[in-house]
Formats: sequence, C-alpha cells, structure tokens
Amino acid sequence: MGLEAYLTLAAIVFCIGMFGVITRRNTIGILLGIELMLNAVNINLVAFSRYHGDVTGMVFTVFTICITVTEAALGLAIVILLFRIRRTVMADHLDLLKG
Amino acid sequence: MSLGSLIPVGPELLLFTTAVVVILLGAFGARRAAGPLTMVGFVAAFAATFFIPEGAFVFNDQYEQDALAIFAKQLFIGSAAISLLGSMTMTHRAFRDRSAEYHFALAVSVLGMSVLVSARELILLFVGFELMSIPLFLLTGFIKRDPVAPEAALKFFLVGTASSAIIVYGMSFVYGVTGTTTIDAIPQALAAGHPLMMLGMALLLAGIGFKIAAFPFHMWAPDTYEAATTPFVAWLSVAPKAAGFVALIRLFVEGVGEASLFWMPAVSVLAGMTMVIGNLMAIPQQNIKRMLAYSGIAHIGYMLLGLAAFSTSGIAMMLFYLVAYMFGNMGAFLVVETIAQSEKSEGMEAYRGLAQRSPLLALSMLIFLLSLGGIPFVAGFWAKLYIFWAAIERGMYGLVFLGALLTVVALYYYLLVARRMYIEAPDKPEPVPVSAPLRFGILICLVGVVGMGAYPGPWVTLAQRVASTLFS
Repeated sequence: MGLEAYLTLAAIVFCIGMFGVITRRNTIGILLGIELMLNAVNINLVAFSRYHGDVTGMVFTVFTICITVTEAALGLAIVILLFRIRRTVMADHLDLLKG
Repeated sequence: MSLGSLIPVGPELLLFTTAVVVILLGAFGARRAAGPLTMVGFVAAFAATFFIPEGAFVFNDQYEQDALAIFAKQLFIGSAAISLLGSMTMTHRAFRDRSAEYHFALAVSVLGMSVLVSARELILLFVGFELMSIPLFLLTGFIKRDPVAPEAALKFFLVGTASSAIIVYGMSFVYGVTGTTTIDAIPQALAAGHPLMMLGMALLLAGIGFKIAAFPFHMWAPDTYEAATTPFVAWLSVAPKAAGFVALIRLFVEGVGEASLFWMPAVSVLAGMTMVIGNLMAIPQQNIKRMLAYSGIAHIGYMLLGLAAFSTSGIAMMLFYLVAYMFGNMGAFLVVETIAQSEKSEGMEAYRGLAQRSPLLALSMLIFLLSLGGIPFVAGFWAKLYIFWAAIERGMYGLVFLGALLTVVALYYYLLVARRMYIEAPDKPEPVPVSAPLRFGILICLVGVVGMGAYPGPWVTLAQRVASTLFS
C-alpha cells in the first residue's frame, strides 16, 4: 500500500471525528470525536515518517499521544465536575451563557 | 554545559522554578505565600528578559531568543504580573483554599507561551501551544462550585482541543512535505507550493484562528470571558492572543518573503469578518465583560489587518497594537473587577453615575475605553492609525474604509458605558472602594495608555526594529 492509502485513511478518520464534534449533543461524544481527530494525526505522522525513512515523525507521534492523554484527562474531569453541579452532560442543556 | 550558557533561557527557568516552588508550597500548606511568591517570580523573569543576549540559540539551535521572542516574553510576563495584581484581591473561597493551584497554572501557562514564541521546531511549537492552553482551561473553571464556570471551561476546552487537533493535523502535512520538523524548512516548501503543504498551512491558519478567537471561530470567547474570574480574563484576552499572533508570524511571515502574499486574501477576509462581527455583536451586550469580549474580537480583526499586509510595517504596527490593546483592555478589565467587588455586578447598570461617586475611577475607565475606541492622543488611536497606514501601503483601501467605519460603531458602544458613568445619576452616593493592588494595576495601565498616546515614538521604533529582524 502506498502513502496515499494511509493519508486517505487518516483524512477519513479526521473527518469522522470532526463530524462527531459538530453533530454530537452529548459532550462525551464530542470528546470522542476530538480523540478521533487526534488519532488521525498520528496515522498521518507515522505514515509520513515511514515514507521519509525518518524517525522524527514517530517522535512527534509520541508527543501527540502524551498530549492527547492529558487533554482527555482534563476534559473528562471538567465533564464530571459539570455533571455534579448541573446533572447533565448534554451540550443543549448548557445554556446559562449566551448572547 | 556551564551555568553561563543558561542565561539565554533565564526567564523560562525562573518561570519553571516559580511554578514548581508554588505548587510544592501549596502541597505543604503554605497557600498564602503563593500569590506574592508568583509575583516575585514574574518580576524576576521579567527582569531576566533584559539580560537575554539577542539572537541567542540554545538547545541545538532549536530554541531561538530573537528580538520578537524577547518582545513577546516581556508582553506575556508583564501582562501576567498585572493580572496577578488583580487576582491578589480575590476573596472567593477557591482563592483561599486553592491559591497554589491557581498560581501554578498561571505560571505554567506563561512558561508555555514563552516556549512557543522561541520554538524553531514544530514539535516544540505544538508542546508550547498545549502547555499554554491546558492551564487556561483549568483556570477558566477555577471557581468550580460556580454554576457557570465549569460550563465555560467545557466550551473553551472543546473548542481549544478541537483547534489543537486541527493545528497538529496541519503540522503533520507540513512534516510530510518538508520531511523535517524545523520551521526553517517552511519558507522553501511554501515557495514550492505543494498542494499538501498548502493544505497543512491552511489547517494551521484555521487552528490558530480558533486560538486567537478570529471569526468564525470566536464563539468561545464571550462565554469564557463572562464566566471566568475577571483578573484572569484580563490576561486571557491579551497574552494567549499575542502568542497566537507570534505563532502565525513564525509560520507564515518569517523568512517567507513574497510567497506569503498568497495568504493575503484569506487573512484579509478573516480580518474583515472578525472586525464586523466583533463590533456589531458588542452593541447589544448588557454584561460589560461580554461587551469587552466582543470588542476584543474586533481588536483581533484590526490586528489581523496588520498581519494581512505581510510587510515590515504591517507586522510592526500589529505588535504596537498588541501593546496598546494590552494596556487598554487590561485596564478596563481591572476597573470591571473593582466595580464587581463593590457592587457584586458585572452589568452595565453598575456603572450608573460612577463619575459622581469615584471621579478618578470613572476617568480611568473612560480613558481605557477611549483608547480601545481609538480617540486621538491615547494609545489606541496611534495603534489604529498605524495599522490602517500599513494596510494602505498594500493597497487594502476597502478594508481600511470598513475598519474606520467600524471604529465609529465601536465608539458608540464604548460611549454607552461612558454615558452611564457621566450622565446618569448614581443609585447610591458613597465612593467605590479600590484595594491597593488593583489601584496599582490600574495605574500601570493608565500610565501605559497615556504614555503611549503622548510619546508613541519609542514604541514604534521598538516594534519596527523587532519586525525588521523577521524580514532580513
């Protein structure tokens, strides 16, 4: 399989993730969408890394994975905090701030 | 490696030390010391930026302290110190119990910005971006028992991480085309114009557009500003935006030359739309922080106009605008905090008759608003004038006309506040108490705004010198 196949796969995963971020009403679902987007990046980086025969891309992937984990942890913490206070995780119900 | 070789990264080391010491002290129960200690750390780091040998490279040439990086660092650390003056007066329980966490996150975020503006490497740039952003989400939701703060934190977080994903997706294409992660390889690849490279750069532009709250990625800003603590918002409205602009300069301008003009239409449209939306949405706002949030979005539009010129004067004037905006905006937010502490309200009605109650406070607010609005002989006037000038040099007459027209709209909603302060009668006669740190912070901003208005020359020279290093 050539580089194109991997890039296409990554683009599809990225678009699915972004679709999820835009359409999901459940904030956990939005978080999952963001995770998909970030994992598409990893596919991209590893594919390019292999293509160039250069390890930098894989090093970059390790960094992205670490940061993704941090973000997931923080995101879930905020969702839990919100659920404790407001008893909901649906984006539609988060409407105290608008205008 | 001798100790002397660490001087170029002195500010970063001091910020890091401050963060570690503060969180450790917090763990051992000395929470009270956190605020003053962070202040000492920031002042020391600010002083250390003046000892950086300009143009120094460290860490295998992946980290550069050029004129722009030093300028940006002074802006970040200075604005963080002013914000700290405001947060010292916060009496909420969260600030008593978790003061160490607040100051730790603030110091780490400043550290992230400092790394970001010096990075010559995409990985480091991304890590810097995240080191800056993640504490911001945390600080937004700091008052965690508040019904709205977690909601704002979640909105900010979702937008922020989605934009990070877009930024890093763009970076992966840049890496794919150039085969390396150094930023120095970007100009050549941009000139060659590979489609994947263009896609990558477009994604980077969109992602950073989110971070600086440019249209159509601005929706998180008003919610976040309304719900988060005001001294933090004062800083949030300036420093992360400045960091985003520096990242844009690094990626799209530095060393790129004429090839950067390819991005001129996209950035111009972004600038125009951001100015229009920001200014028009600010008019009906009844909460002053939301009003300042939308006006802040409009200011981002003006700064994007400077960037869209892609010229030495455009970048220089954008940097000048950033400093003027910092003083004006932070000053206004500090006054908002003062009023909120005494009136328990962030609504417009709290400003009724302020001129009769506390004439000096009302006058400072008026000067800040006039500076933001761009009235002659305060900082914001020169900033807008110079930006328009730089844009006209590139023949962007339409956008300059639009910008000038919107300045009038902006004056309208700024003067709405002035009308409440000066014309309407006060609800109660007693003056508004101003605590000492807030008074000092407002004074600094006032000196900045009036000083830059009276003597813009030195600042212009500085901004031009910084910008010219990017084009040599």
